[in-house]
Amino acid sequence: MSDLQLEIKQMIIETLDLEDIEPAEIIDDEPLFVEGLGLDSIDALEIGLALQKRYGIKLKADSEDTREHFSSVNALAILIESQRAS
Amino acid sequence: MTNLLSLTCWLNSAPEGVIAYAADSSVSKSDLENRVAFWMRILPAEKGQRWAVYHKDSAEFLSIVFALWQLDCIACIPGDNRPATCERLRQRVQGFIGDFPADLVSYDISGVVVSFDVAPEWRVLNTDSPALEIYTSGTTGEPKAIGKTFAQLESEVAALEALWPGNRDAVVISTATHQHFYGLIFRLIWPMVRGQCFEIQQWQYTEDVYSRAQRYSAFSLVSTPSHLGRINTTVAWAEVAERCCSVLSSAAPLQRKDSLSVAKLLKTQVREIYGSSETGAIAWRIQSDRNEEAWQALPGIRLSQTDDSLLTVTANQLLEPGFKMSDRVEFVCDGRFKLLERVDRIVKVEGKRVSLAEVELVVQNNPFIEVVKALVITRKRTEVALVAELTGMGRQELALIGKRKLVQQFRQYLQDFFEPVLLPRRWRFVDQMPYNAQGKLPMDSLQAMFEQEEVKWPELLSQTVEGQVAELVCRIPAELIYFDGHFAGNPILPGIAQVHWAEHYGRQMLNLTGRFDRLQVIKFQQVIFPESTISLSLEFNPETDKLSFRFYSDKGVHSSGRICFS
Repeated sequence: MSDLQLEIKQMIIETLDLEDIEPAEIIDDEPLFVEGLGLDSIDALEIGLALQKRYGIKLKADSEDTREHFSSVNALAILIESQRAS
Repeated sequence: MTNLLSLTCWLNSAPEGVIAYAADSSVSKSDLENRVAFWMRILPAEKGQRWAVYHKDSAEFLSIVFALWQLDCIACIPGDNRPATCERLRQRVQGFIGDFPADLVSYDISGVVVSFDVAPEWRVLNTDSPALEIYTSGTTGEPKAIGKTFAQLESEVAALEALWPGNRDAVVISTATHQHFYGLIFRLIWPMVRGQCFEIQQWQYTEDVYSRAQRYSAFSLVSTPSHLGRINTTVAWAEVAERCCSVLSSAAPLQRKDSLSVAKLLKTQVREIYGSSETGAIAWRIQSDRNEEAWQALPGIRLSQTDDSLLTVTANQLLEPGFKMSDRVEFVCDGRFKLLERVDRIVKVEGKRVSLAEVELVVQNNPFIEVVKALVITRKRTEVALVAELTGMGRQELALIGKRKLVQQFRQYLQDFFEPVLLPRRWRFVDQMPYNAQGKLPMDSLQAMFEQEEVKWPELLSQTVEGQVAELVCRIPAELIYFDGHFAGNPILPGIAQVHWAEHYGRQMLNLTGRFDRLQVIKFQQVIFPESTISLSLEFNPETDKLSFRFYSDKGVHSSGRICFS
C-alpha cells in the first residue's frame, strides 16, 4: 500500500466518521459505494468536499466522470496524482 | 387569483414550445404529448386502477403519469424501487411502469410507434378525482399511503404562487428527486402549471448545478439541506449568481449558517419550506443574519396548536380541517412559530423520513437479533444507530467473523428495505439492554453508547440495578485516554480511573448525590489490561453514606474499596 493510498483511507475514515474499520481493512480496488465499503450519496458529497480541501481538487461538472473517480481508493489516487501532475 | 394553468387540462392548454431540458437537448410539449399517446397505447390499464411509476427521467415520468390520468387511473409514486417497496406495492397496484425488475413489468413496448401531425384533443380531468398516491412512514412501522386529488395539488401550488410569483423564464435545476412529494411539487408540478421549464435530470453534486446554471440566462434551484449544507464554496458561483432567481430548500430545516452561506454565494435568499407528505407545503421562512427565523403559514393556510403543542393545519389542500402534525411547536408572534421536537418515533435523516419502529421491525426479523432499539444520533451527520442483543446464533457469528463483517451482513440485508442514507451506520451489540431501576430503557443511556468524545469510559455490555446494588459488565477499550502514557508499550488501567468510574456509575445508577469525601480500604490486587472484559459491582450503604466497589473478572478480584460521601 503506497503512502497516498493510506492517506486516502485515513481521509475517508476520518471525514466520514466511520467506525469499526482500520485503514488496512479498506481494499485498494474494492468499490467504495453500495457494495464493498457501502458508502452512500451523502458520503460522496463529503468526499468531494474533502478532496477539494485537502488536495485542492476541483471536480469536473460531469457526474459520470466524477462517479468513476470515486469508485475505489485506487481511482481516487489516480485522480489526486493526475491533478498534482498538471 | 393566480394565473396558473390547470393540471386537469394542461395537455390542451399549455403553450407549444420547450417545456424541459435534458443534458444536451430539449423536450417540447409535442414531444411530451407523443410520449403520453405512446404510453396510453401500450399500457393495459383500465379505469380506476392504480399503477406504480418510477422513472429517473422527469419528462418520461410525466408522460407516464399523464397517460395514466388520461386512462382514468391513479399514479402511485414510491420514493424508491427497492425489493421490499415493490413487494408491498404489489398488493396495491395493477402493474409497474418504468425502472422496476422485469418480472414486475406487464406491458410490451417492442415495435410500438406513435406519432401524429395534429395533437389529439385530450380529455379534461375531473378536478376531484384521485390523481396520485404517495407513501410515507407511518407511526406503527408500516408505510402509509396518502391520496391526492387534482384539486389538492392545484390548491397547494396556488398557495406557493401567491407567495412567490417570481420569474417564469428561470429554468428549474434540482438536486431533489421527483419521486418524493416535495420534489414532485417543486421541480415538476409547480413549474409545469406556471409554464416554466425544468430540467429532467436530478443532479447529485453542486458542481453539476454550477455547470447547468451556466447554460441558462436565468435559473431557479430546488434543493435540500443535504446538498445546500455541503455546497462547494470554491466553485465560481459569482459567475452564475446574477442569473439565480430563487433557491428553495425543503425536506428538513436548513441550518442558519448554511442558509446564509448559500445566500451569499448565489446572491439569493434561501426560501425554506416546511410541510409533510400528508399536508404538502404549509409554512416558510427566510433566515435572517441576526437570529434564527421563525416559520409562518403559506397564504390560505391556517395554523393553530393543540393543548399539548402539536401543530394543526387547516387548508383547502386538505380534505378535513385541523390535521394534526407530529411536530410540537411554539408560537412566538404574528402567528409565527418555532419547530420543537416530534412526538412520534418518526425521524428525518438527511431529509428522508423514516420510522424507527419500522427499522426495528425489519431488523428484528433477522435470526441473529434477539432485541433491538433504533435511535437517531447526531455526530458529523445525523444517522440511524442500533443497539442490539444478539441471539445465541448471532453471538456465535460475531465471535466467528467479527463485528465489521457481521454489520456488513446486516446492512446488506437491510438494503432491500431502506434507502442507503437510512441504513444504520453505527451498531452496538450488548449482552443486555441498559434498563434502569424502573425497568425503563432511558434514551440517554442508549445515546451515551454513541458519544464520540475522548474515550473516558468503558463500553458497557450490561447494567442492572436492584435496590442499592448495581452490577455492570464492561469491555475496557484500548482507545481509553488513560492508557496514553500509562506505561508505554505495557498499558494498564490506572487505579485512579477505576475509582473515578466507580464514583461515576454509583452517582448515575444509584442516584448518589453526596460530595466525594475520602477513600477507605483501597486494594489494587491485579492490573486491568486493554480489551479485557471486567465486571463492576457497586453497593451503597445509605446509613454510612459509603459506596463499596469491586472490579472483578474470571481472573478474580482486580480492585476493591469504599468511597465515603458527605
